[in-house]
Amino acid sequence: MTTADNPNNPRPAYTRNRWITLLQASFGLSFWLFAGFALVMGTLCYIVLGPVAFSSAVTKDLQQLLGILPRVVAALALAGFIWILMPRDRFSQLVGRYRGFTGLVLAEMAGIITPGGPASAFPFLAIIGRAGADRGILVAYITSWALLGIQRVLVWDLPFMGAELTTTRFLVSLPLPIIAGLIAQRIPLPLSFGEPQQQEQGRP
Amino acid sequence: MSIMMLIIYIAPILVGAYALSRRDKSFQQGLVRGLEQFTIIVPRMICALIGAEFMAMLVPTEFISQFLGTDAGMVAILIGSLAGLLVPSGPVISFSIAATFADAGASVPAIVSFITAWSLFTAHRIFIYEIPLLGLSFLRLRLISVIILPPLAGTLILIWTGMLSLAGL
Repeated sequence: MTTADNPNNPRPAYTRNRWITLLQASFGLSFWLFAGFALVMGTLCYIVLGPVAFSSAVTKDLQQLLGILPRVVAALALAGFIWILMPRDRFSQLVGRYRGFTGLVLAEMAGIITPGGPASAFPFLAIIGRAGADRGILVAYITSWALLGIQRVLVWDLPFMGAELTTTRFLVSLPLPIIAGLIAQRIPLPLSFGEPQQQEQGRP
Repeated sequence: MSIMMLIIYIAPILVGAYALSRRDKSFQQGLVRGLEQFTIIVPRMICALIGAEFMAMLVPTEFISQFLGTDAGMVAILIGSLAGLLVPSGPVISFSIAATFADAGASVPAIVSFITAWSLFTAHRIFIYEIPLLGLSFLRLRLISVIILPPLAGTLILIWTGMLSLAGL
């Protein structure tokens, strides 16, 4: 934990230098990987499908970005406030208390009832992850949300696939988040929720 | 849907108002933190979205659909899982494809495997939310943990229907 993560210490003043570091982080290595990915896919699209399909893809991109940006801003503002306001010690105790099978079941139920799509599920996941929740619980929660989230089942599965197939898929998916959580608990990979800019700085 | 959208916008206003009412710089700190995250996430998000949209146009979904519709049993389950992994588009296109499979007579296990795989590996979601908010180490852990779930979902249905037919139902 750095001093900035400790709510008892005031955060360091935001000097000009700090913002330059931040900008360097935001255009760090992984930004250029994403940019390269977009460039390669765009070039392929232009070569394989022709200029008409290319320009229609660009138009769709821009529309999609305009639709998504406000939600991302809202989600980040919410995540920022919660990050500062959250009584971290008590919250850590709370999520730390549920580590066994009960925790996985609770995580699955939370995933099913989470409203509001990825803009609320992922910030919530980031918060409980940084508060020290067990990795199995994190994986079980987001798997449950992705497969069984009630909003998504009602909005997409039911109208497109009908009641029978939706019910079959829902029932057969009920054990899956817990299975994923149990697998995650047994994978000894290192897991860090460090700040993105710190990860960038750590790279050579 | 619109109520859900409303929640996304009202929640930060309510929590922000509470932060402001505490008069202890929580509001400013929260905003600064949000702005930091915005600066880091948005440039990557724009590139990722543009790339994913191009990729969605390049994946030959109709070609894949032939294979998913023709076979039953484990082969269809595996092809369905793979197809769901490769379709990087949003729910409209993915569920349209799934509905087309159903109409074309694809087996229920294959369709369920397809939807499961797509739900777990949606590229947009990974690029926009998961990598920025949770980082690559979590993405790696999650992908390893869920990779067997799409074929498992289809196989569970196969086993279940097999048991029903054994019981004479």
